[in-house]
Amino acid sequence: MRAMRATLVRLVSIFDRDRLDRELAAELESHLAMHIDDNLRSGMTAAEARRQALLKLGGMTQVTQRYRERRGLPLLENLVRDLRFAARMLYRNPGFTAVAVLTLALGIGVNTAIFSVVNAVILRPLPFPEPSRLVMVWATNLEAGRTEDVASYPDFADWRARSRSFERLAAFTNRGMTIASREQTELVRAVQATPGFFETLGVAPALGRTFRPDEGEPGAARVALLSDSAWKRFFGGRAEILGQTIRANEEVYTIVGVMAPDFRVSFSPGLPEQIYVPLVRDPSRGHGFLRVLGRLRPEVRRPAAQAEMDVITAGLARQYKQKVGARVVPLAEALVGKVQTGLVILLGVVTLVLLIACTNVASLLLARSASRQKELALRAALGASRRRLLQQLITESMLLSVAGGALGLLLASGTAHLLARLLAQNFEIPRIESTSMDGWVLGFTLVLSLATGLLCGAVFAPVTAAASLDQSLRESGRTATGGVRGRRLRGALVVIEIALALVLLAGAGVLLRHLWVLRATPPGFAPENVLTASLSLPENRFAEAAVRWSFFEELQTRAATLPGASSAALVSSLPLGNGWDSLQFHIVGRPDPAPDGGFSANFNIVSPGYFRTMGIPVRAGRELTPQDVAGAPGVIVVNETAAHRFWPGESAIGQRIVLPDAGADGDAVLTVVGVTGDVRQMGLGSEPRPEIFLNYLQPAPPWPWLTLVVRTGADPAALAGAVKRLARSIDRDVPLSEVRTLEQVLAASVAEPRVYTLLVGLFAALALTLAAVGLYGVVSYTVTQRTPEMGVRLALGADRAGVVRLVLRQGLGLALAGAAIGLPASLAVTRLLAHWMPGTRPGAPLTFAAVVALLIAVALAATWVPARRASRVDPTVALRWD
Amino acid sequence: MKTPKTDVWQGTLALMVLKTLETLGSLHGYGIARRIEQTSGDLLEVNYGTLYPALLKLEQEGYIASEWGVSENNRKAKFYTLTRAGRKQLEKQAREWEQTTAIIARFFASGETPS
Repeated sequence: MRAMRATLVRLVSIFDRDRLDRELAAELESHLAMHIDDNLRSGMTAAEARRQALLKLGGMTQVTQRYRERRGLPLLENLVRDLRFAARMLYRNPGFTAVAVLTLALGIGVNTAIFSVVNAVILRPLPFPEPSRLVMVWATNLEAGRTEDVASYPDFADWRARSRSFERLAAFTNRGMTIASREQTELVRAVQATPGFFETLGVAPALGRTFRPDEGEPGAARVALLSDSAWKRFFGGRAEILGQTIRANEEVYTIVGVMAPDFRVSFSPGLPEQIYVPLVRDPSRGHGFLRVLGRLRPEVRRPAAQAEMDVITAGLARQYKQKVGARVVPLAEALVGKVQTGLVILLGVVTLVLLIACTNVASLLLARSASRQKELALRAALGASRRRLLQQLITESMLLSVAGGALGLLLASGTAHLLARLLAQNFEIPRIESTSMDGWVLGFTLVLSLATGLLCGAVFAPVTAAASLDQSLRESGRTATGGVRGRRLRGALVVIEIALALVLLAGAGVLLRHLWVLRATPPGFAPENVLTASLSLPENRFAEAAVRWSFFEELQTRAATLPGASSAALVSSLPLGNGWDSLQFHIVGRPDPAPDGGFSANFNIVSPGYFRTMGIPVRAGRELTPQDVAGAPGVIVVNETAAHRFWPGESAIGQRIVLPDAGADGDAVLTVVGVTGDVRQMGLGSEPRPEIFLNYLQPAPPWPWLTLVVRTGADPAALAGAVKRLARSIDRDVPLSEVRTLEQVLAASVAEPRVYTLLVGLFAALALTLAAVGLYGVVSYTVTQRTPEMGVRLALGADRAGVVRLVLRQGLGLALAGAAIGLPASLAVTRLLAHWMPGTRPGAPLTFAAVVALLIAVALAATWVPARRASRVDPTVALRWD
Repeated sequence: MKTPKTDVWQGTLALMVLKTLETLGSLHGYGIARRIEQTSGDLLEVNYGTLYPALLKLEQEGYIASEWGVSENNRKAKFYTLTRAGRKQLEKQAREWEQTTAIIARFFASGETPS
C-alpha cells in the first residue's frame, strides 16, 4: 500500500524534474547556510566553516545523485532515455532503419496474416454456448479405412438410447432443397435434423419454436424453421410468419420458427442453409447418411465418452453383424477437417520467413554496431556498465521490431482478406469469411514483435557490448570491426539464413513439381468445349423410373440440339468431382475373392453418348446405345483397368457379372459390351480404379442427382444461359446448379495443390530475397572493410578479375555452407510434406538440384555487385583511406 | 583522534527521524541531523547527505509532510512535520523495536552463553 503510493509519487516526479531539482538545490543551500552559521559561531574561519559543512554533507553532487535516484524511477527513466536515444539513432540512419523495419514488417506481416486466418478458422470458439462440450460422433469402418463416416438412423438411435456420456445427442444431414416462389424455383442448402438438434447446440429460435419430438416420427405433419435470410427473402421479413406455409421439394411445410441472423450449422463458405426440416426416423441400418452431434455432460471428458462409445458400438456390431465403430471428436475440429494441417504448415512456413527476417536484422545491427564502436566504447569508458550497454542495445532492436510489427500489422490487415478470399475460393474452409484483425490477432502481433526484438537483441547485443568494453578509445572507428566474434557471427547468421531459405525453396520446389505432374497427367477425356451442370430431381415425383427416364431423355435430346451444341449426355458421377460409388459384384464363372464379399469397383451410371461427348476413347467393343433399354439384355462398359484386373489375359467383351439387388426383380446379370480408356475419376493424382458403367435406361440403383454434359463447337460458357432455360422449360421445378465448363472442373480439382504451391512459393521467394539481401550486406561490408587491402593488391599488380574472384569466393563459400546445412533439413521437411500431401515426392533429385542451382545463382548475383566494386577500387584512394 | 563512531543504517535512521519529529514537532533537515547527533551523545556519525533521500522516502510514503518556512536564524528552510500515518508508523515501529531489543536482551541476560 505504502510502497504503491511511493511508486506513484516517484512516477509523477519524473515529469516535474526541473522544479524538484530547483527545490532540492534550495534545500541543500539552506542546510549549508545554517551549518556554516553554526561553524562560524564556533569560531572557524569562513573558508574552514564552508569546507567542514560540505564535508559533513558528503558532497553536493553525490547527495544530489542519490536523492534523484530515490525521487524518480531510475529503471523507467533509463528505459525512456534508451528509447529516446534509440529513436534518435534510427532517425539519423534512415537507410538502415528503412531496410530493417521493412524486413521485420514483411516477416511479422505474413505471420499476422496467416494467424488471422488460423484464428478465425481454428482458434476462435464456435458461436454456441459452452462450445468445448460439443462433439461430433463419426461412424467409422476401420476395415474399409473410413474414419469419418456417416451413421445410419438405427445406429444413431441406439447410441442415443445406450450412452450416458452425453447430455444430448442429435443427428442431422445437409441436403439441397428446391424452394418454389412465385417467380422461380431455386435450389438452396437445407438441414434435416432430429428434434433436439437446436437444444444440443444450445440455441433457441428468434421466433417461434424448434421441432417437437413427435415431429421426427413418420407421418407427422410437415414443419420447417427458416433461416433469417430465407425469412427476409421469401417473406419480406413479415412478423406474422408463424403458421405460414412454404413449398419445398414440392411439398408444403408449415413454418414454426425463424432462426437468429447469425445462426448457421454449415460453416463452409457460400450461402448458409436456408431452411431446417425435421429428420424422420429411417428404418434401414445399412443406410448411412447422418452426422451425429453431441453435447457432453459437464463432468464427462471426451476420452471417457469415446470409451463408452467403443463399448456400445462393439455390442451393436455383435448384435447386427456390422463393422460400424464410432469416433468422438471436438465439433470445432470436425468442422475444420483437413484444412487444419494445411494452415498449420503455412504457419510453420511463415515462421521460417520471420526467422530469416530476424537473422537479417541481427546481421544488419551487428554491421552497424561495428561503425558505432567508438560511441559505445566512450559510453563504457564513462562508466556505463555492461548491463546498461546491453539494455540500450536491446532497446534499439525492440524499437525496430515494434515499428516493424506495426507496419506488418498494416500490411497484414491489407492482405489478410485477400488471403482469406483466395483460400475460400479454392477450399471448403469453415468460418474463413470471419477472418479479421481482432484482439487476439493484435495480441499475437505484439507478442511476436517483442519476441522478435528480443531475439535479434539477444543475438547481436552481447557480442557488440563485449567488443566495446574490450576496445579502448585509441582504436579508430574503422579498424574496430566489432571484433573477430562479430565477424564470425555475421557469417554464421548468413549461413543460417541461406539454410532456412533453402528449406522453403525445397518445399516450394516439391509442391511445384507435384503440380506440374498433375497438370501433365492426361485426365482420360477431352476437357475442351464441354459444359457441365448438376441437377437434382425432387424424389417423390420422380420416384418411378419411367418418369425419370422420360425427363432425362428429353433433357439430353434437346440439349444436344441447342445451337452450338454437338452432343449431350448424363452421368451420375462426373470425373474429378467429389463423388464416386463403390459397389460389390460377382463375376460369372469365377469364385468370389473373399467369402463375405465380391469384387469391388466404382460404378457410374451414364446415358448413351456419354463417352463420345466426354471424348473418352472406346478401346474395344461398343458404347452404350439407346437400344439398351429395360427389356433388352443388361449390358455394361468397363474401363481398361477393370478389364485387366478382372479378366487378365483374356478379352473382357462378352464376360458377365452379377450385380446384387440392382435388377427389377433381384440380382441383375450384365454383359460387358465395351472397354473404354481409363479416366482419372477420383482426381488427377489418384491412379484409376476399376470402373463399371451402367446404362441409365436399364434397371439400376436409383440415383437422385446427375450431371449434364454438353459438348459444343465453340466457347461452352456461352451456352450456360440456354441450358438453364432449357431445364426450366422442361420442368420448372428442376433447377440446374453448378454450371461450369469441364476445364473449370479440371482446374478446380487441382485447386488445393495450386493454392499451397502459390503460397509456399511466394513465401520461399520472400525468404530467398531476404537471404540474398543478407548475403549482399555481409559481403558488401567486408569489401568496404578490406578496401585498403584491395588497393594494395591492385597496386602490387593483382588483376581486377582476381579481386572479383576473391570476393565471389567469399559469397559462394557462405552460400555453399548454407546449402550444406539446408539440404538434410530440406529432406526431412519435404518428407513431412509428403506425409501431408500424398503424391509429392520428397527429395526428388532433379527438384533438389534445381533448387540448389537457383540458390547458388541468386547468391552469386548478390555477391556480384560488391565484387565489382572491389575490383574498381582506386589504389591511390584506398591507400590513403582512413 | 576521536572514538570510532557508528554509521547509522537506513531503517534505523527513518525511525530516528520520526521520533525526532514527534518530539520537536516541525523541523528542517539540518535541525533533524543535529538533533539525532546530540541525542546519541555524539556517538553517531550522521552523514548529513544520507538524511535527504531518507526524508524523501518518508515523504513519498506519506509518513511526513514538508513545507517551506523561515528558521530561527531567519533562513529560508524546508520544514518537516509528522503526519497521522507517520505517528501510527512510529508507534508500530517503536513497539517492534522494543520487542526486538527485549528478545535480544533476554538472550544476553540468560547467562547461558557457551564459553
